[in-house]
Amino acid sequence: MSYIKGLKCRECHRHYPKEVLFVCEYCFGSLEVDYDYEAIKKVLTKEKILSRPKNMWRYKELLPLEGEPTDGLNTGFTPLIRANNLAKVLGVKELYIKDDSVNHPTLSFKDRVVAVALSRAKELGFRTVACASTGNLANSVSAQAAMAGLRAYIFIPADLELGKVIASLIYAPTVVAVEGNYDEVNRLCSEIASKYKWAFVNINIRPYYAEGSKTYAYEIAEQLNWRAPLHIVVPSAGGSLITKIWKGLKEFEKLGLIPEVKTKVYCAQGKGSSPIVTAIKENSDIIKPVKPKTIAKSLAIGNPADGYYAKDTVLQSGGWAEEASDEEIVEAIKLLASTEGIFTETAGGVTVAVTKKLIEQKRIPPDESIVISITGNGLKTQEAVYEKLPKPIKIKPTLSSFEEYHRKEQ
Amino acid sequence: MAKKVVKLTFPQRLIKQPLTFQMAKKYNVMPNIRRAKVTETVGELVLELEGRQKDLEKGLEFLSKKGVIVEPIVGDIVE
Repeated sequence: MSYIKGLKCRECHRHYPKEVLFVCEYCFGSLEVDYDYEAIKKVLTKEKILSRPKNMWRYKELLPLEGEPTDGLNTGFTPLIRANNLAKVLGVKELYIKDDSVNHPTLSFKDRVVAVALSRAKELGFRTVACASTGNLANSVSAQAAMAGLRAYIFIPADLELGKVIASLIYAPTVVAVEGNYDEVNRLCSEIASKYKWAFVNINIRPYYAEGSKTYAYEIAEQLNWRAPLHIVVPSAGGSLITKIWKGLKEFEKLGLIPEVKTKVYCAQGKGSSPIVTAIKENSDIIKPVKPKTIAKSLAIGNPADGYYAKDTVLQSGGWAEEASDEEIVEAIKLLASTEGIFTETAGGVTVAVTKKLIEQKRIPPDESIVISITGNGLKTQEAVYEKLPKPIKIKPTLSSFEEYHRKEQ
Repeated sequence: MAKKVVKLTFPQRLIKQPLTFQMAKKYNVMPNIRRAKVTETVGELVLELEGRQKDLEKGLEFLSKKGVIVEPIVGDIVE
C-alpha cells in the first residue's frame, strides 16, 4: 500500500504524478514528495514502529515507495549517544551525538538516501543507477547497487586521488573519470542525466532519494523517547539534510507521535564553502554560488540545490548558522575522538566546531537538549588529520628501552 | 533549435545592466523567464533559453565573461 499522493513543486505548489520528474515544468522549482498523512495516521503508531526491525524502514509509510523496500534492509537505526564527556568540555548539560559514522553498509548517512533511491528506481523500472560524487555518495551507490544487482555508473573528476575511489571501485561499478574542472563535470552530468534512461540518484530521482534523510530525524525523536531535541546542529552541503530533518520532525508531530516541535535547527559549513551560512547571516533570499575551498570535501558544494530551503528552515525554526575554518575542523575531529571515542570525517569536524562556536556565542543555551549530527566516518578522510597528530614513540624491543621512555613520561 | 535551462546570479554591480536582453539580441537567443528574485545586493534569474546550440553556448559565455554566474538549475551535481 502506497501513501504517496504525488509530487509537489516547492515554489509554485503545482501537483505532479509520482513519476520520474524533478523540476516543475512551469517555474523550474524543485519537486518533493507529498503524502496522504490522514491515511498514514490511521496505520502508523508507536507500537507498530517499535514492533519492527531496527532499521530505517521501520517508518516505511513515510517513505516514497509503492511496495515493500528492497534495499538498505540493515541501514539506519544508528546509535544516539549521550555525550557526557564532550558536554563537560563544551559546558552544556544534555548533549547527544547521532552517529551515522557507523551506518550500514558504507559508514555515512548517504546509505539512507541511496537505499530509498535504489528501491524507488527499481519500482520506476530502472536497471542502471548513477551519481557524480567524490566520496560518500559514490561509495554508497556502488555498494548498494552491487547488492541489488543493478548496473552502476560513478562519475568523478579526473584529478581525484585514486585512494578516494577505492571504497567505490571495490564494488565493481563503472567509474568514469571526467577530464574537466568541477563546473564542467557538474554540467556534463546534468546533461547525461537528461539524456540517458538511468536513475541518476541525486538528479532525476532526487525527490525520492532526498526523503531517505528524514529517517535520521525519526530515529533521533524515537531514541529521545518520542520527543524532538531543542537544538540540532546539521552539516550542510546541498542543504537537503536540514530541510528533511525538519520535515521529518514536523511529520512526527503531525502524526501525533511526538509533542509540538520546538527544535531550533543550525546549519554548519566549512569556511570557504559556506554560501548557506552567508545567506542566513544576511537573511538573503538568494544563495550566492561560491568556488568551494575547505578541507571538508564532502560539504564542498558551491551552488547548493536546496540552499534557499535550508536557509528558510533554519530561520523559520529560530536557529542560526556558523562556519568552521580548516584548523577548527581538525581540532574538533580530535576533540570528538578524545572525548567520545568517535572518529568522524571532516564534515563531522565542521559540525562539532560549529556547535562549540554556537555555545560560546550563547546562541545555544547550556541547559537544553542538543543533538550534534555526525554523518560520516573519519577513516575516509585520514589525510585531513595525518600531519596534525603526534607520531608514535619509537623504542628498542627491550624492557629497559620501554622503561626509559616510561620514566621520562612520568 | 536547442533549449537550455539555467540559473543566472547577478552580482550587485550588474543588476542594473540589461545583460539578458543584450545576450538575447546579440546571439539570437530567446529567453523565457520562469522565476526571478532581486535583493539589494544580488539578483537571481531562472530561465529557459532557446536558439541554435552554438548561439546558446556563445550567449552564456558572454554572460559569464561579464561576471554573471551561470549554473545548471539542479545545483551542484558532484556530491
